[in-house]
Amino acid sequence: MSGDAVQHPRARGGQAPDVFRKGGWVSMREYPCDEEVDFVIVGTGAGGATLACRLAEQGFKVVALDAGAWWRPLEEFASDEAHQQKLYWTDQRICDGDNPLKMGSNNSGKAVGGSTVHFAMVSLRFRPEWFKCRSLLGYGADWPIDWREMWRYYDEVEQALSIAGPITYPWGPPRKRYPYRSHELNAAALVLARGAEAMGTAWSATPLATVSAPHGKSPPCVYRGFCVAGCATNAKQSALVTWIPRALKAGAEIRDLAMAGRIETNDLGRAVGVEYFRDGAWRFQRARNVVVAGYAIETPRLLLLSANHRFPDGLANSSGLVGKNLMVQSNQAVWGVMDEEIRSYKGPPSLSISEHWNYQDKGKDFFGGYAYMSQGPLPVGWASTQNGRGLWGAKLSREMQKYNHQAGLKIVGETLPQERNRVTLADEKDQYGLPVARITYGFCDNDKKLIAHALHFMEQALEAAGGKEIWRQEDDTCHLNGTARMGDDPRTSVVNADCRSWDIPNLWICDGSVFPTIGGVNPSLTIQAIACRTADRIRALAQRGEL
Amino acid sequence: MNSNAITTRYPGYDVLNKRDTPSWDPITRQVVEERLSMSRQPRFFDLAQWTAATALCTCVVVQPDDRLAVPVAAMLDARLFEDQGDGWRDARLPPLRQAWCIGLAALDAESQGEHGLVFAQLAAARQTALVEQMQCGKLRAAAWQGMPSDLFFSERVLHDLYGAYYAHPAAWSEIGFGGPANPRGYVRLNKNRRDPWEAIEATAENAATVKRKNTRVR
Amino acid sequence: MKQRMRSDTTTLLALGGIAIAATVLGARKPARAAWSAAPRQTRREAPTHIAAARRFNHSSSLLALSVLADSAVEHYRGSFKNPAMFIPLLSASLSFFAGLHGGRDRRAASHPVRHGIHAFAAMAGIAGTGFHIYNVTKRTGGWSWNNLFYAAPLGAPTALLLSGGLGAIGERLRDQPANEPRLLGMPAGRAMALAVSAGLLGTVGEVGLLHFRGAFQHPAMYAPVIIPPVAATLMVQTALAAPRPRPGTRWWLRLTAALGLLGVGFHARGIARCQGGWRNWSQNIPSGPPLPAPPSFTALALAGLAALRLRQTEK
Ligand SMILES: Cc1cc2nc3c(=O)[nH]c(=O)nc-3n(C[C@H](O)[C@H](O)[C@H](O)COP(=O)(O)OP(=O)(O)OC[C@H]3O[C@@H](n4cnc5c(N)ncnc54)[C@H](O)[C@@H]3O)c2cc1C
Ligand code: SF4
Repeated sequence: MSGDAVQHPRARGGQAPDVFRKGGWVSMREYPCDEEVDFVIVGTGAGGATLACRLAEQGFKVVALDAGAWWRPLEEFASDEAHQQKLYWTDQRICDGDNPLKMGSNNSGKAVGGSTVHFAMVSLRFRPEWFKCRSLLGYGADWPIDWREMWRYYDEVEQALSIAGPITYPWGPPRKRYPYRSHELNAAALVLARGAEAMGTAWSATPLATVSAPHGKSPPCVYRGFCVAGCATNAKQSALVTWIPRALKAGAEIRDLAMAGRIETNDLGRAVGVEYFRDGAWRFQRARNVVVAGYAIETPRLLLLSANHRFPDGLANSSGLVGKNLMVQSNQAVWGVMDEEIRSYKGPPSLSISEHWNYQDKGKDFFGGYAYMSQGPLPVGWASTQNGRGLWGAKLSREMQKYNHQAGLKIVGETLPQERNRVTLADEKDQYGLPVARITYGFCDNDKKLIAHALHFMEQALEAAGGKEIWRQEDDTCHLNGTARMGDDPRTSVVNADCRSWDIPNLWICDGSVFPTIGGVNPSLTIQAIACRTADRIRALAQRGEL
Repeated sequence: MNSNAITTRYPGYDVLNKRDTPSWDPITRQVVEERLSMSRQPRFFDLAQWTAATALCTCVVVQPDDRLAVPVAAMLDARLFEDQGDGWRDARLPPLRQAWCIGLAALDAESQGEHGLVFAQLAAARQTALVEQMQCGKLRAAAWQGMPSDLFFSERVLHDLYGAYYAHPAAWSEIGFGGPANPRGYVRLNKNRRDPWEAIEATAENAATVKRKNTRVR
Repeated sequence: MKQRMRSDTTTLLALGGIAIAATVLGARKPARAAWSAAPRQTRREAPTHIAAARRFNHSSSLLALSVLADSAVEHYRGSFKNPAMFIPLLSASLSFFAGLHGGRDRRAASHPVRHGIHAFAAMAGIAGTGFHIYNVTKRTGGWSWNNLFYAAPLGAPTALLLSGGLGAIGERLRDQPANEPRLLGMPAGRAMALAVSAGLLGTVGEVGLLHFRGAFQHPAMYAPVIIPPVAATLMVQTALAAPRPRPGTRWWLRLTAALGLLGVGFHARGIARCQGGWRNWSQNIPSGPPLPAPPSFTALALAGLAALRLRQTEK
């Protein structure tokens, strides 16, 4: 049954899978390819799904394409790390540079709902100063958006996703109460808490996009801990179970297994639609506006793939910045063995957090910040972490025996934008005959200093919490941003504050690619907030006839 | 290698006992069933490669000898047969299948060069020594075709073999992992607390009692 | 969706109907059973204060049952890590039977064993509260919302204290003269009404906390934080104002009693809504909404009705 979803498109004939019922269907509006719809959106993840929903609710005709399958979590998400690889973007990508990235499960999804289908649900706001980090903090680039405006959109997204968070969040300016209460903390989360208290720093239950009480058709989280392999419970408030059903209700059409290969432009230099592969053939969807929301690798890849006579360097690339300034987040950890049983496979992986070093600027010899969180790796992931230390054979087996006693603290750390970190096209082709992405990445000195600071601090915290045999995991990264940054100046950015490309007025980019800087928090809440803002801006522009 | 060195802390515990409880849903039963009933005959590797791969798996992945070994080599073969990639590769490595073909041939070539025998014919200690050299990137025979042996070891050998091994229920039981958990997840999250459907950890003194109790965990 | 909602409503209405029927029957049956089971008693109308005492015994019993079931589930969830966690089970079982026994007993004298059991329950309740406070404070985070939500529930042992209290009142009352019985230095009816009021407010505190934890995700979750406080206020009024017939208060107490049983229906429905529903009972009973909790309101409201009746005979 699950093979089916990746072989044949499900959303067609006026219906789409109902994610809340086994074998269920809901009705879906459909548009013929030759009808010029208002928006065709490539990608239905955090950015694309949110925008599709909000635009459809405003009455626009929306068609969204996703290269991935449309799953029904209740019957198709196995409690199995290996099987659930089906949620990841496993088409080939080539990684090089000083620190070649590991992709796949680690950072990008391919499914209706995008990476949010298997994300870890950590839902954090940026620190306000980060929106002006060049002017206020002296590094990176300023965002063209004011934090107070973002604060309103964060409110909206937190409501829409029924975020379960603490009554008072220890960092940053006041925010509305989270719609749902924070979850019970597991033993791993309490290790972080003990460590933070010993270090005299604040800690908190992590605001998470999984419900702690029923919401609509979502039952509360059952603490099964398979979140990054997909939530079979539907407690997780991924785009698949939040924005997508809303978008369908509002009349959007969403096409699964639809891989966009090219955006066409006309002689006037305007986008006219998207060429995509579905059901064995290349097709063309006409549209008045094209939105790219394929995440920080596929977005620049599609823009580069769409190069033509008029735009020989790829679309929206007069600044030369498409694909550049790729930012991951550093994801280093310290791990230790506790006397007590921790069994961190129970519950969402990151139930507690410290954002201390996002908000504290004193005592740093680097720019930027980091958050660190408790961890809950499953066996395959944990073995691979141990492999990263070079362990194998009997040594590894002995280490693995400590699985239920280990606890770890892991950062989500800011890295600086650097033009040399970039996405380009390789010679190798994928199954659609399209050149694959080449991803070049290396940490800069500032990134390395931040990592060193974090590892040093967390090591002390873990030790204070009772950790023994502590060791450092130095090799991991997560999240992808940049590659089509927003800004005030067409020479130094790809899109403006409204996510509208400078070069082609009816081409928009609305996903993690538009971040000028990445901050020390997981990005999805910000991506969704920006998408909500973009939808409002589009409405305003449309009303003024400026679309 | 000394496979007796590891004894499980969870004697008697078998996640498969939970197969018919609310901890397992139909899709999980199905995918695990498929894994367990997988063919142990190669479909991708030729005989020489299969021999080398099997020897490499035995050398690298140490398994307890009181149960049927997890067929790591067969799981690897199945993956290569389906050409199931990870979604990325280090630019210095060729694609998945090619990397394995080169790597296994190179291992045999290195072994031939040093000892006049293919890898599988070497004594365990010599195999281990060769693998350790691979891990350090010291193997550089022409048969590697420029592929760095350390990278092949970390990104392919360890990643693929352990990815297979820890996807097997026997490995879950061995480390006391709760295993599949849908619709039933967990209730008791605090330290030193376990649900009745979780493995009990044994100490040297109580191993026999725990073993008996663990066989009833479900 | 709509259809689903309609079927939900139907279920709830049905459950509500059953609950109300159960209230009526439940309130009647023991009384009738008591008549026939007490042949030694003269058939003359028992004095009002004894009737009230028996009703208090019944309420105490119902409360004890609720505590028994609730602490069994909660302490099972806590894996009975501490042997003291068996105490409430023992105490609540004893109180349950003592209450039933008292409910049948029409004698105008307290029963030393029953009285002892109720005192034990009250003490266990106080000790339990102490234990639970300790449990909250020793957790990392101390007095934090998260610990109030998920550590040992502070309000739960108070239900045992209440059960013991109601039972003890029932016993004490029997030792009073039929004419103008007094408790705690005031007319018995007043004292009992105040006790019920305090019990209701305490229980509301606990429910409020837990329903807040559940983000009041269902509108019905507001009912137990609105209806019982009104009942508590009416009880205070009953206690402090001059005695007179109060049909409104009686009606409101009946509503509160029904609410407790209706709550069980809602909580059963809540468990069904959890992942795996009732089939996944080993998780959803301990983790879902507590089935045995809401009848505390029924017990207290029934005690309130008894207090009301007694109070009306006072000057
Ligand atoms: C394991 C993991 C854990 C994470 N945990 C967190 C977390 O806890 N908190 C957090 O905030 N973030 C987390 N993230 C990151 C978060 O999921 C992403 O940042 C976010 O989903 C990115 O949103 P997006 O819209 O840019 O892209 P995505 O959500 O990745 O969506 C892009 C979609 O576009 C589709 N697509 C791409 N190219 C094409 C094409 N050419 N044609 C058709 N479709 C295409 C893809 O199939 C995909 O579905 C996590 C990510 C992973 C992988
Ligand atoms: S722990 Fe919660 S969010 Fe994660 S997979 Fe389980 S039910 Fe879903």
